Parts: sequence; C-alpha cells; structure tokens
Amino acid sequence: MKLLRLRVQNFAAIREMEIAFGPGLNVLYGPNELGKSTLAEAIRLVLLLPYTSTHYEPYVPWTGADDPFVDLTFEMEEQRIWRVQKQFGRRGSARLQESRNGQDFEDVERARRVDARLREILRWGIPEPGGMGAGKGLPSSFLATALLSTQAHVADVLEGSLHGDPTPTGKDQIAEALQAVAQDPLFLALLRAVQARRDEAYTDKGAKKTARGSVFKAAAERVNEAREEKLRLEKVVEESDAVERDLHDLAEQREGCEHDLATATENLEALRRLAAQAAARAAEEEGVRAAREEVARIQAMDQDVAAAEERVRGFAGVRSRAEQTLTDAQAAQAAAEQALTTTEETAQEALGRCDLLERAAAARAADRQVETARVAVDRQAALQAELAQLTARRDALAAERSALVVPPPASLTAFRKLATELAGARGALDVGLVMTVIPTAIIPVSVRTDGVAGSSGTIAQPLEIEANSEVEVDVANLATIRVRGGRRVAQERVQALESRWETEARPHLAAAGATDLDGLEARIAEARELEARLQSLDGDLRALQRQIADLSGAAEALEEATARSAAVRSELGETSLDALLPELDALGADPAAALRNRRQQATRDVDAARRAVQEATARATEATQKILTTLTGHASEEGRLAEIRKLREAADLPAAERALQEAVERRDAVPVPPRWVTPAEVAAAEEELERVRQTLKTLDRDLHITQGRLQQVGGAVARERLRDAIEAFDLAERHEREIETDYEAWRLLLDQMKEADAAQASNLGQALAPVIADRFQALTSRRYQSVHLTAQLGTEGVVAAGALRTPDRLSVGTREQLSTLYRLCLGEYLRTTIVLDDQLVQSDDTRMEWFRALLAEKARGFQIVVFTCRPGDYLAPEAMVRDEGEVAADSDGGLVRAIDLGRAGRPSFR
Amino acid sequence: MLRLLHTADWHLGRRFPSFPEEAQKKLSRARMEVVGRILDAARRNRVHAVLCAGDLFDDPAPAPDFWEGLAKAFHDHPTPEAPVFLVPGNHDPLTAESVWSAGHPFRGRLPAWVHVVDRDDFVFDLSPDAVLYARPCRSKAGENDLAMALPAREPGDARLRIGCVHGSTFDLPGYQTNFPIRREAGVLRGLDYLAIGDVHSFRDVTAREPVPTVYPGTPEPLSFEDSGAGKVALVALFRHGSRPRVEEEPVAFWRWLDVRCRSMNELRGLLTTPDLERHVVRLHLDLTVSLAEESELERIVRDLEGTDATHGRAGILVVDRAKLRIEAGSVDAFPDDLPPVLQDTVARLDRIRTQAVDEAEREKANRALAHLYKLVQRGDELIGGGAK
Repeated sequence: MKLLRLRVQNFAAIREMEIAFGPGLNVLYGPNELGKSTLAEAIRLVLLLPYTSTHYEPYVPWTGADDPFVDLTFEMEEQRIWRVQKQFGRRGSARLQESRNGQDFEDVERARRVDARLREILRWGIPEPGGMGAGKGLPSSFLATALLSTQAHVADVLEGSLHGDPTPTGKDQIAEALQAVAQDPLFLALLRAVQARRDEAYTDKGAKKTARGSVFKAAAERVNEAREEKLRLEKVVEESDAVERDLHDLAEQREGCEHDLATATENLEALRRLAAQAAARAAEEEGVRAAREEVARIQAMDQDVAAAEERVRGFAGVRSRAEQTLTDAQAAQAAAEQALTTTEETAQEALGRCDLLERAAAARAADRQVETARVAVDRQAALQAELAQLTARRDALAAERSALVVPPPASLTAFRKLATELAGARGALDVGLVMTVIPTAIIPVSVRTDGVAGSSGTIAQPLEIEANSEVEVDVANLATIRVRGGRRVAQERVQALESRWETEARPHLAAAGATDLDGLEARIAEARELEARLQSLDGDLRALQRQIADLSGAAEALEEATARSAAVRSELGETSLDALLPELDALGADPAAALRNRRQQATRDVDAARRAVQEATARATEATQKILTTLTGHASEEGRLAEIRKLREAADLPAAERALQEAVERRDAVPVPPRWVTPAEVAAAEEELERVRQTLKTLDRDLHITQGRLQQVGGAVARERLRDAIEAFDLAERHEREIETDYEAWRLLLDQMKEADAAQASNLGQALAPVIADRFQALTSRRYQSVHLTAQLGTEGVVAAGALRTPDRLSVGTREQLSTLYRLCLGEYLRTTIVLDDQLVQSDDTRMEWFRALLAEKARGFQIVVFTCRPGDYLAPEAMVRDEGEVAADSDGGLVRAIDLGRAGRPSFR
Repeated sequence: MLRLLHTADWHLGRRFPSFPEEAQKKLSRARMEVVGRILDAARRNRVHAVLCAGDLFDDPAPAPDFWEGLAKAFHDHPTPEAPVFLVPGNHDPLTAESVWSAGHPFRGRLPAWVHVVDRDDFVFDLSPDAVLYARPCRSKAGENDLAMALPAREPGDARLRIGCVHGSTFDLPGYQTNFPIRREAGVLRGLDYLAIGDVHSFRDVTAREPVPTVYPGTPEPLSFEDSGAGKVALVALFRHGSRPRVEEEPVAFWRWLDVRCRSMNELRGLLTTPDLERHVVRLHLDLTVSLAEESELERIVRDLEGTDATHGRAGILVVDRAKLRIEAGSVDAFPDDLPPVLQDTVARLDRIRTQAVDEAEREKANRALAHLYKLVQRGDELIGGGAK
C-alpha cells in the first residue's frame, strides 16, 4: 500500500487541505496546533470508519457549517489505484473508485459497501461492517494500530497482538509476507512442480477442470465414448439375441406342432374306426331289446290275471267282517243313550240340595258378622274414655315445665368457668387493707368494707378500718374515699369479669330462681325430668289414637251385618236353619268349597255319559261306511279280472320267445368295440386336427419372417464387438479412476506442503523477532540482547543483562523507539505505508540520528509518513521546504519529501 | 499333388479401442502388412490356390483406406502362379452395399487372379483333377449350414473336391445362428478338404475324420486370448480318399503377451524378454511396492513404454495398475537433510496415511508420498529448472 493523495475539508480545525505524498519518506511538519494529528486521524477515519457512524462527531468543525469530508487516493499494487471519498454525517456518503493510471477513476462501490470492500482490500483483520465480530465506533486491529499510529498511543503496538483481531486477514497477510521471504529453495522448487501438476487438473478454486484439453475431460470423454459404444452394441446384441431366441423358440414350437399334427391325425383315424364298430353293434342291440320286451309283456299278463283273482277273493272276506262290526256298533249306541238319561236325572237332584245348603251357610255367616261388629263398637267407646284421661294428665305436666326458666345445660359449664375466673381475679385483689381516717373535725362518715356496708357515724378520733380488698368511706356531703387493693390491671380484670357475670350468668340465676350455680344446676335437672315424662305421655297418647282410628267405622259395619242377616234368612223360606246346620257342619270347615265340588261332580257325570253316546254313534257310522266301500271295490276288481283274461287269451308267448332267440343270435355275431366312441368325439378330433394344421401354418410363416430378421442382425459379430467395447469401457473407467486418484494425490500433496509451510511461518513472532532485535541492538549499542514476541506478535519484552524486561518497565523513550522499530519491520515485510505521528519525541539526538538514517534507508522499500513539529529530527537542513510558495520539497532522488503543512492550506502544492 | 494356402479372418479395419491411439494405428497397420507375408508364403510354397475363408474385412463396408490398401497389397505383389479366392464371412457378408458387391470400386481394382466368391453356386476348376466349391455369407447371422449347401459328390466323380465357407462348427446342442457347420459336412458332401474360417486360433476340428475341416485362425492376432493365432494353413492333397496333410506356417508380426507381475523381480525379468519390440504387452501390476520400489517400477514402465523422446522397449504396452499398491511404510526413505518444511509435509502425509479410515484415503496419501519422493529425487534438476 502507498498513499498518493489526501484531501481534507471541514475536518476539525482544518478548513481545507490537500497533500500529495511521495513514494518514500514523507515528513509533514508544522508548528503545534496546526492539525498534524488531525490529518493522521483523517487517514484513519477515511480508511476505517463507516460514514454513517457517529464517531466522526469530534471532528465536526466549530462552525458546524459543513460535515467533515476526506478524500484519499492510494495504491495497493502496480496499476491498482484506489480512491475513497467519505462525507461523514447524517447526510453523508461514501464512494470507492478504482483506476489504473491514477487519472481515470471508475466507481467500484458506494455507500455502505465501500467499507466492506476497503477492508477486503486492506486485509488488516477488521471484519465487514455489521458482520460477525464487527463492533461499534472506529474499528481497530493489530495492523491498524501498528500502521496508523497516533501520537497519543505511541506504544500501543507493544501492548496488542494479532490475538485480539476480529478476523484472521491481518495474520494471514503477515504470515504470507514472512513466508515469501523465508521459503527454502528446494521446497519452492517442489512446490512449483506440485502446483503445476495440481493446476493441470483443478481450477484455482479447487474445482475439477472440465474444459477441453483438461486431463479429466480427456478421460471422461474416453469413458463416455466407450460407454456409448458399449450401450450401442449392447442394444444391437440384445436385438440379435432376441431374434435368435425367437427363432429358437419358433423352431421348438414347430417341432412340437409337427408332433401334435401326427398325434391328432392318428387319433382321428382311430376314433372313426371305433365309431363305425359301435354303430353296427348298437343296431343289433336294439333288435334284441325289442324282442325281449315283447316276451316280458306277455309274461306280465299272466301275473296280472293271478293277482286280480286274488284281489277278488280278498274283497269277499272283508265284506263279511264289516257287516258283523256294524251290528255290534249299533247295540253299543243304544246302551249309551239309556245311561245318559239316568245320569242327567241324578245330577239335577244333587244341584237343588246344594242351592239350599248354600243359603243356610250364608245365613250363619251373617249372624257371625253381626256379633263381631257389635264387639268392635264397644271397644271403641272404652278407648275414647282412656284418651280423655291421658290428655288431662299431659296438659298438667306441660304447665309445670313451662313454669321452669333455665338455660341450656351446656351453658352451665361456661358459667362455672366464669365464676372460677372471677374468684381467681378477686383473689388477686384480696391483698388486705388497713385504712385510717384521721379527722380534723368531727365529721360524719359511712364505711363500706369489701362491698359490705359497715359502720357509719361521726368520728372525731382517727378511725382505723381493715378490709380484704376494698374500703369505701363516705364523708358526708364532702367526699367518698374508696380504697381498693391490688394493681389496676387486676382491678380492671375483676371489673370485666364481674361485668360478664352480671350480663351472662346473673339473669339466668334470677330467671331460674336460683341463688347460685348449684341451685341453677338443680333447676335444670328438674326441667329435664319433666320433659322426659312429657315425652312418655305423648307416646301413650299416640298409641291410643291409633287404636281408636283402627276401630273407626265399627258402627256402620254392625248395621250392614244386621241387614244382611235378615235378607239371607228370608231366602231360606220355610226351611229352618237349625235343621240344615247338622248337614252344613258335615261339609267341613269350608262348606262353600265342598258344595262347589259336589256340583262339579254332577256335571262331570253328565258329560261322561254324553261322550259315551257320541263315541258309540261314530263307530256305527264308520262300520256302515266300510261296508259300502268294500262292496264297490269288489265289483270293480271283478270287472278288471275279466278284461285282463280277455287280453291274455289274444297274445302268443312261444312266438315272441322264438323272435327273441333269433335277435340275440344276430347281435352276438357283431364284434364289441374296445371303446364306445360318439360322433361328437369324432367331430372334436377333426376340429383338433384342423387347429394343429393352422398352427403349423402360422409357425411356418413366423419362422420365415424371423429367418429374414436374422439376416439383419449383428449375431456373433456384434457379440465380439461388444466384448471389445466392454473391455475398452472397463479400461477407460479404470484409467479415469487412476487419473482422479493420481491428481487427488497431487492436490493432497500440495495442500500438505502449503499447510506445512504455513505452520512453519505461523509462528510470526519467531520470524519477526530476530529482525527487530538486530535493529534494537544496533540502536541501543547492544544494551539489549533480544526481543521476545509471541506467535501472535504480542510483545513479551526485551532481554537485558540476561533478564526479560516487559515493555512497561522500559523508559518512555525506549518504548517509543522499540514500537517504531516494530512498525518499521511490519511496514517493510508488508511493503506498506506506515504513519508515525511524532513517535520519537523522547529520543535523544544520537538515537534520532540513527533513526533518521534508518528511515531514509527503509523509505527505499516502502512509504513512511511522519507527522512532526520538529522536522530537523527527520530531515537534513537542505531537505526542508525553502522556496517561497512551495508546499513540498523532494530530496534524495525523490525518496524524501518534506511537506510544510503551514503552507498546505493552498489549493495545491505545485 | 495339389497345394493350397488356406487363410481367413484378416479383419482388415478392425479397431482396438482398448489401446492408446498410436498403438491402435500400429495394430491396424500390421493387419494390412500381414497380407503381403501371406502372399509371400504362397509364392514360397508354390501353392496352387490361396483360399481366404471369410472375415477378410471387419465390416462389410470398410473405410476406403482398407479396401484400397488390400487392392494395393495384391497389386504390389508379383503376379502369383496361384489364384486367390476371397469368401465373404459373417463380419463382411455379401450384401448390395458391401465391398464385395459387383459395383463396388474395390472389385474393379482387384487383379484378375483374385476371385470374389459372390455366388451361392461358386465353382472353380483348380485343375482338371481338382475343383473348388465355395459359398458366401450373405448376412451377419444365419442358421443355414453353408458347407452342407455345397453340392454333393456325384457318383463316379474322382476329382479332388475342396469346399470353402465361413461359419462355426458347433459342439453345442440347440439352435445356432452363426452359420453352423456340421462336423461331418466334409464327408457328407464328398469333399477332400473343407476350408473354413471364423475361429481366430489355428484349429483342425476334424482330426479323426478322413476329411480335414480346418480353421487357420487369424494371421495377425486380434487379442490376448488368440493364443494360437498368427498362422496360415498349408494343405497338400494327394488324391481323393487320402487324408490331406495340413501344416501351420507362422506369418504374424506381433506377439501378444499378457503378463502379470507379482514382484519387482518378475517386472525386472520382463525386460529380458527377447524381441520385446515385437510384442504387444499387457502388463498387470499385481504387487505392493515401497516408495523406492515404486520409483523403480515407474522407471521400468517408462522404459518399456517409451517417452516422447525415446522408443519404448516393448512394441506396444498397456499397463493395468488396478492391483498396484504403494505402501509407503517407513518414511525413512526420504533423505535426512530435507528442509524442515518438507519433513513436516512428509510427517503430515504419513499421519494421514496411518490414520486413514478408508482405503481410498490411504491410497491417496501413499501416492502423494510417492510423488513427493520422486520429486525429492529430482530436487537438483527442479531447482535448476526453476532457476532458469
């Protein structure tokens, strides 16, 4: 990095200033308060602070008219020139431009993206704004601190390290710089060779190269070509195989079909032969069957005649037995009718007697009901009298109980507790008192001791009064003196308890007429006794009332029973009840049931007699019917016998038997076929033969077509080529894998070489410390032996006299010098600008001289920007700006530029 | 006595997709060159006829280079005493579009003593006492027996009868479509010799029959499997009924060597093979080598294969490294005075190798070590190159 131009407007005390930097050492000088540190800050802000941040506010001019504006042009590498412009503030803006010639700039980023891109360009370990690790305010990092130091924080670089950087870009940049100068020549040569091999196969981003000419592309193309050829040939072979299979299948089918044709033809011929034999045999069989049927028909006629004769004989016997049965049935019918008449008469007489006895039983029952009703009426009257007596006794007891007013028994316990507490409280007051009334004149007094009126009268001499707890002396018309024993609290408790006694217990004692609690307890017991007796009487009264209720209606029942008795007796008429009673008693305990049984028996007897008459009548009718049937059947059978005899006489059995014999002989002359074949079977065989012929024709056609197809296919030729193609494909695949593995190995080797290299360089402190130490030794005339830096470039200290001395134990001047050396080293390795803002104010002339020489030397390699109020420390007298009107003066071949800031307020240096 | 040279399966125009491009050219060229040696053999043995029993081209319509090359080979050869008969096979069947069709320019360029069997009833009187019957393949596949299609011997015919067809004599049962030839076809057709082609190795399929039926094989091997290839058959017929004498005559340039090396010694021994420059070598590296051995192995392979600047010891080399394993083993093989950063690199790779959970990862680390080992050996050369 190299600063080219800086333009600042409205930045703190600077209204406008523009500076062009030289490539080497730039010494910007001027008196104090001119704004040197402000310019250094302007560089920091334009590179690091987002224009939207409020951190710019300290740099707003006092006038406040315009917001600060900074415009910085810098070069990162040859022909890579950047220009960043930032207008800070609410209406601020930012722009990043790029140029190759430093004249023509093109916008690269605007607004918020500017800072992200700047940090990417600088690689100082500062994250993108708003990104992970990005903080508020002016961002910081080890390199930002080291390269852009401020006067106020000269030694900060000794206190920091890369460890605190939010992103590793700063560390990476330093490591790369250190690596580049420290690599071994063999390693570098190998690295180049490996890199070249790796680059043959992979892009910079690590992806496989697939462009034409790449190793993978060539191998992949070979695989693809081989695969395509293989697939093409597989298809050809498949087609070929299919045709060959079809041909093979068709040939097999045809062979099978020819066999089927032979079989079907043979089968049809055999069936036809058998069918002819079966037809001839069947015709003769039919003749035999007809002759046999004729013989059988004639023989059956003889059997029919014999059977008919037997049936006629059977009918005669049946007729004789039916006539005897009819005679017997008619006699039985007459006897049954006579028995019915007798039974009906006996039943009528028995039913009349039953009626009379039932009326007698009813009269006797009515008499008994009258008697029962009368007893109930008497009992009801007696119970009513007893009820009146008991009611009078209950009323007397109730009056007695009402006269007793007592509290509930439970309250007695509470009263006793109150009394005990009161007695206790009073005991506390019972302290014993002796009061002496000493009159000065004769005075009438009245004395009460312990609430009890005592003596009263006039006294002229001292009167001594003794009491347990209270003395009250009333001096007539003058005063009443009351003295009470005990403390006030005890007295108040007694008063409270007494008050409770008076309100809670005393009224009950008074109401009950008791003087004390024992009396009250006796009264309560008496009241409870009376309540118990009242309850007992109430129970008796309720029992009597229930009995009386049970007997209600007894008078009406008596009246009804008397009326019913009179009515029943009138139904008896002239027959005396007494005359019937013996017979009635004989009927047992339940005469009604006995009489019911007697009536039912009479009815059953009549029914049985009637059924017997019906059965006898039915048997007579049946016998009559049977005779009629028998007569009809007999006549019919005789007619049929006559007819059969007539037919038999017309038939010729011997002739039929002869015809049968002849038919059998003809049939036996025809041979029996081994199997009976039907015409349908023959037709089916004919159809099968035709079907097989058609199939064979179809197969021949297909075979012909397939043979034609065979001539179009690849056959063994295609199979041979497929074998070659498969081999080529396998080989190509192996080759591709081989290449991939080989190049992956190259890549792995490269990665590991780089990692090893990075690891070697990662201990940055180890690499940097010797250089700083050398210069520090030279500066301090070997007073310090070495400088110790951590791997992350933290400063552990310097070794002096064999002991490590931490930076805080160094003098201010030594710290300034050490930190300046540190910065110069970093600037040199990174080949980047460092800004030193009056870093060496504490150094003596000798050391300043040494530094001046060092800065002049280093300025040949990288840019150094020094802000100072003592230009003589850095510049030879002849290097100062001398010409009037000039802002800057270059010397040492342009490597040293002196810039007089006091003159820089003009529009330009030249 | 009638002398014949019987050849077949030239497969002119055959591609060798498994080989590198340069090797393919060599192999393809060799197929054309062998024709000259066959004709030389015919002349040297003063044969009465040269029978070419099919598959002379690898395709029925080969690229002009091949048919022009063949026509040129015939023309370049001094006019022979014997006619040459070219029979179309299943690779180059006689079709309207084929190189054999009457209208094809190839036919016009053939000398008069070269006869194409382009008829099913091809008959040629080789002498008053000898006659040739031949029949072409008309498709790439067919189930008809071309030998059995030749005319049978008429009663009283005492001439030497020679048949020439292309097809496969199958021993397998079932339906065959590669122009099957019955073993006893020669006998059944009354032939004295049946010249056939298809199989690439020299083979007399009827050694116990009175009528020889012979495959001469391809004159220039086509693959590592063609162990009996590279010959023609020389046939001497004395009279009808007497079994002819059949002899093999080598004509091939290339010898195909399929070699598997299981140790470094075997690999070193390969270098001592005589006439290695006339060998097509397929080298299967089936061994595990240390870093130092791997370096030597690659040197040997380079020696066999050649480089852009030098010819290889082997005529053609194909290397199969599928079973080559590098086992870096102890990394002590590296020099002690390596710069620390390279020592660290070696240690890192060795760690990856020993801690690898899968074979591929281990193999990659082994190879990376092998690469590094070879680079270190070339260290001075590389530093010098870099300085330039």
